[in-house]
Amino acid sequence: MEPKKIIIDTDPGIDDAMAIFLAFKSPEVEVIGLTTIYGNVYTTLATKNALHLLEVAGRTDIPVAEGSHVTLTKATKLRIADFVHGADGLGNQNFPPPKGKPIEQSAAAFLIEQANLYPGKITVVALGPLTNIALAIQLDPAFAKNIGQIVLLGGAFSVNGNVNPATEANIFGDPEAADVVFISGADVVAVGINVTHQAIMTDADRDKLAQSNGKFAQYLCQILEVYFSYHHDAYAMRGVYLHDPTALLVAINPSLFTYTEGVVRVQTSGITRGLTLFDNRQKRFAEITEWTDKPTVKVAVTVDAKAVVKLIMDRLMDS
Amino acid sequence: MSNNNYSHAVLSGSSKLIIDTDPGIDDSMAIFMAFQTPEVEILGLTTIFGNVTTEDATRNALLLCEIAGRPDIPVAEGSLEPLKGGKPFVADFAHGADGLGNINLPPAKAKKSDKSASEFLVDKVTEYPGEVSILALGPLTNLALAIKRDSSFANKVKNIVVLGGAFFALGNVNPSAEANIYGDPDAADVVFTSGANVVVVGINITTQVKLADADLLELRQSEGKYAQLLSEMCKFYRDFHVKSDGVYGIFPHDPVSFMAIVRPDLFTYKKGVVRVETQGICVGHTLMDQGLKKWNSSNPWTGYSPVSVAWTVNVDEMLNYIKEVLMKP
Repeated sequence: MEPKKIIIDTDPGIDDAMAIFLAFKSPEVEVIGLTTIYGNVYTTLATKNALHLLEVAGRTDIPVAEGSHVTLTKATKLRIADFVHGADGLGNQNFPPPKGKPIEQSAAAFLIEQANLYPGKITVVALGPLTNIALAIQLDPAFAKNIGQIVLLGGAFSVNGNVNPATEANIFGDPEAADVVFISGADVVAVGINVTHQAIMTDADRDKLAQSNGKFAQYLCQILEVYFSYHHDAYAMRGVYLHDPTALLVAINPSLFTYTEGVVRVQTSGITRGLTLFDNRQKRFAEITEWTDKPTVKVAVTVDAKAVVKLIMDRLMDS
Repeated sequence: MSNNNYSHAVLSGSSKLIIDTDPGIDDSMAIFMAFQTPEVEILGLTTIFGNVTTEDATRNALLLCEIAGRPDIPVAEGSLEPLKGGKPFVADFAHGADGLGNINLPPAKAKKSDKSASEFLVDKVTEYPGEVSILALGPLTNLALAIKRDSSFANKVKNIVVLGGAFFALGNVNPSAEANIYGDPDAADVVFTSGANVVVVGINITTQVKLADADLLELRQSEGKYAQLLSEMCKFYRDFHVKSDGVYGIFPHDPVSFMAIVRPDLFTYKKGVVRVETQGICVGHTLMDQGLKKWNSSNPWTGYSPVSVAWTVNVDEMLNYIKEVLMKP
């Protein structure tokens, strides 16, 4: 079977690095580009890190298109999770700057171009705030139809968030953009922290990575310390959540998850700004609601966490 | 048929109760259950919009006391509108135009109290500090007004059992909000963050308990003191459930929350700070911080006292107890 063409929209990010490497070790997918976004770091640094990771992987043939520096509503005050990933986004290792450059096209323009080039064939795996995807939807009314699928890491469905009790970091980064994506009519699969919090790399797993000869495993062990110590402090756990690689696995092997279908809206104001609210359409409400007659999306509900962790580990060690 | 194990409430200490209510078919059930529970001393009813307008809620509350042979119970009328004003949201589609399932009862003879609901609430908790429980079955406007009227109200009230919210579950007004909280989100946020001993029973709990058609038939055929009247009322309410939820029977929301007063042992609880969204598409959404993560900066949940959120319910025992009380002659 021909590998599935994917574009990774990313804010690298320690777990983004894992996801990108995992994609390179997965014959089921062909990475045709990276687009960058703020989130774990600012967009400029996300672009530098994306180029750096491609150089580490020896895949400088893959184009990097830089994404938006501001939110969909042009807000410049961004929430950057440098306390999770380090000031450089890659565990404070101060790697030398990359030699490569991003392409001239913006992330949104690249997404639109590729979707037009291969209509229905491309999967976007969105690992950060959804600004670039929302811009593509707004710039090209055909984008939602042309894009094959959007797998997005975001939201907290029927659980507390990770930025505050109401909201998950990627959605909180640009709630307006997220709402645009969820009701765009595109084939969207959302993977929330209710699912990714089940996929944990333990201290013991990390030791196994360190002992393997895998090139990616070795690199990751170099940058993982900050990420482990953040999880230890915030969640009192000895391990880390595998958010981004788990989401990427939805594009690689969707059968590792189960899904439910319904309408998702994002709260854009108030104390619960960034809340993702899912309507399973089981109840008939007396009045028309903000969820009524909106396109549905798929939301991941359960995950074979053991298989997910094993697959991620195996592929990163075999590199 | 009856099982004596269920005939006595497990109340700890005082049993003085004020029911803040918008009757309401399931409100009527809960009120009659309170009248049928000797361990509970009803100090009064306060009324609020919700299932009906506040004026109709007052009329219905007076009528229910009269039917129970207790016209002496004071009924204090509550706010006509939510804290921030405007026409209240009224769920007549669930309870009928009269709030009691369109059964055309005669008007009540008794008159409402001269006091407003919030005045009455403040007076009673001041008279019996630490002894008065409040069962809040509608939007929380009166409670919020009492908290604003008397800064020591939250400390003096024994506890406030709130029927409201949908915790990590879908709402019933829309996907994000439950009707009582949606009726006055600002008031609900005041009550949840007041520091009072608050116990919240959300529809994630109350919809686990169903009085199915067979149970309703059993009720109708029973010798229960109010069984015939409640059976008449329930026709409309039951048909609404078929239409909105595909449920052949009813959710006894208000009776279940009354259980948190008399049989608190039938629930488990989780403690956490609860805030209510007051704007946007999720207005009325109740969001609890489960305390699973140490936040690295302050957020809108930080610094408030936790409340008890009903987390699980012993469905079988609860159903038995509710039926037992409703079928008591």
